[in-house]
Amino acid sequence: MRRFWAIALSCVLLLLSGCGAAAPEELTLFAMDTYMTLTACGDGAKDALEEAAQRINALEQLFSRTREDSDVSRLNRQGSASLHPETAELLALSLSCAEATGGAFDVTVAPLVSLWNVTGDTPRVPAREEIDALMPLVGVEHLHLDGTSASLDEGCAVDLGGIAKGYASDQVAAIFAARGIRSGAVSLGGNVYVCGTRPDGTPWRVAVQDPQGAGYACILSLQDTFAVTSGAYQRNFTAPDGTVYHHILDPATGAPAQSDLLSVTVLGASGSVADAYSTALFVMGQRQAEAFWRAQGGFSLVLITADGRVRCTPDLSEQLTLSEDTSYVLEVISP
Amino acid sequence: MSLKSSPPECRPNRRDALAALAIALAALVIALIYYIPAETASLQVSVSVDGRVEEFAPLSRYAGVHTYSHNGYTLTVSCDGATVQVVSANCPGQDCVHTGAVSKAGQSIVCLPARIVIRLSGGAADLTVG
Repeated sequence: MRRFWAIALSCVLLLLSGCGAAAPEELTLFAMDTYMTLTACGDGAKDALEEAAQRINALEQLFSRTREDSDVSRLNRQGSASLHPETAELLALSLSCAEATGGAFDVTVAPLVSLWNVTGDTPRVPAREEIDALMPLVGVEHLHLDGTSASLDEGCAVDLGGIAKGYASDQVAAIFAARGIRSGAVSLGGNVYVCGTRPDGTPWRVAVQDPQGAGYACILSLQDTFAVTSGAYQRNFTAPDGTVYHHILDPATGAPAQSDLLSVTVLGASGSVADAYSTALFVMGQRQAEAFWRAQGGFSLVLITADGRVRCTPDLSEQLTLSEDTSYVLEVISP
Repeated sequence: MSLKSSPPECRPNRRDALAALAIALAALVIALIYYIPAETASLQVSVSVDGRVEEFAPLSRYAGVHTYSHNGYTLTVSCDGATVQVVSANCPGQDCVHTGAVSKAGQSIVCLPARIVIRLSGGAADLTVG
């Protein structure tokens, strides 16, 4: 009888030992013109995810260009507006990213975004004259920010689509931190934030999409970081003559960026900055992007070039594994 | 000072050893279930329509042609057992069609107008950036 109880007690302890790793909670939502998945583990995970979803929806109300009552729509429509502090904060950050990248990231490309309408229902290739007519409206010197008051020069408009999801991921990270979440992973339409490690203690495995194929180009082992990719393959349309036009506009030309890169993945401690820089570095092209990384620092980089190379910064060389079924060649960017 | 020997009924015997071995094996099985590398797990495909999971199956068993409709849009999805793609859709942007074939865990095909999401899970990656 004593043996029976000993075995029974052992079995109970054995089962209880498996309860340490609670099943992850997952939440999905459509917001900010994309599909989002949020996963968190541990006590309070469900509440954290619900708060994060509410936060994302609230930010969309502020930053959307398609919602008539958003801060951004009011600013674009009226030419000036008193903004929610977070909208002002994101505009200020957009201005500093524009300055840092020499204008390669620029939220005032909005008139051109509307003209091309690449991500809309009716994309088209505008005439050069149409583009040239709008080019004087592009440039952050047309956006004036004073605290929470903003104004735009006549005819100008802003589009926060290149930084808003990154900002949202920053806010999700803050919610996770405030609620003591130590393991979570978030993908806001491909803008990734990984919190801590996976439930089993190993780093999160974040794949970088192969811009030319059905699989991955490489997999990164990550923890506590943001990762954002920009690539020409993500959203595009084919013109009647067969030319493919993508959605990343070069503020200097008013047309989709002619880049020697297929994709740029920026990793760092800020989702907003990673989002803005990934767009800017795609526009810059390989040489300028790498020079920018050397000069700026503070973030990591994975570039996939049009001639089949995966180039990463040295700090990622131990964390990056090329996918077995790709023909990409791995190179480390010299510091 | 003298050491007292255990009474005979408290000394471990062969049955106790077998019980300990059984518990150790059970622990090993549970550990394997929890910690087996995900790479060895099979890919699963899930199709959700407006947030509701309509399909969840091993990719190998999902082979064939499937259609899903929502919000007035219809997607035709083809799977050859190893890859899955939206081959046609009547949505305006055609982003779901342009995504092409996906074959790895963490990848997804999203049709925003139709609110249809096809996701792969259970392989080498937890999520995909880009």
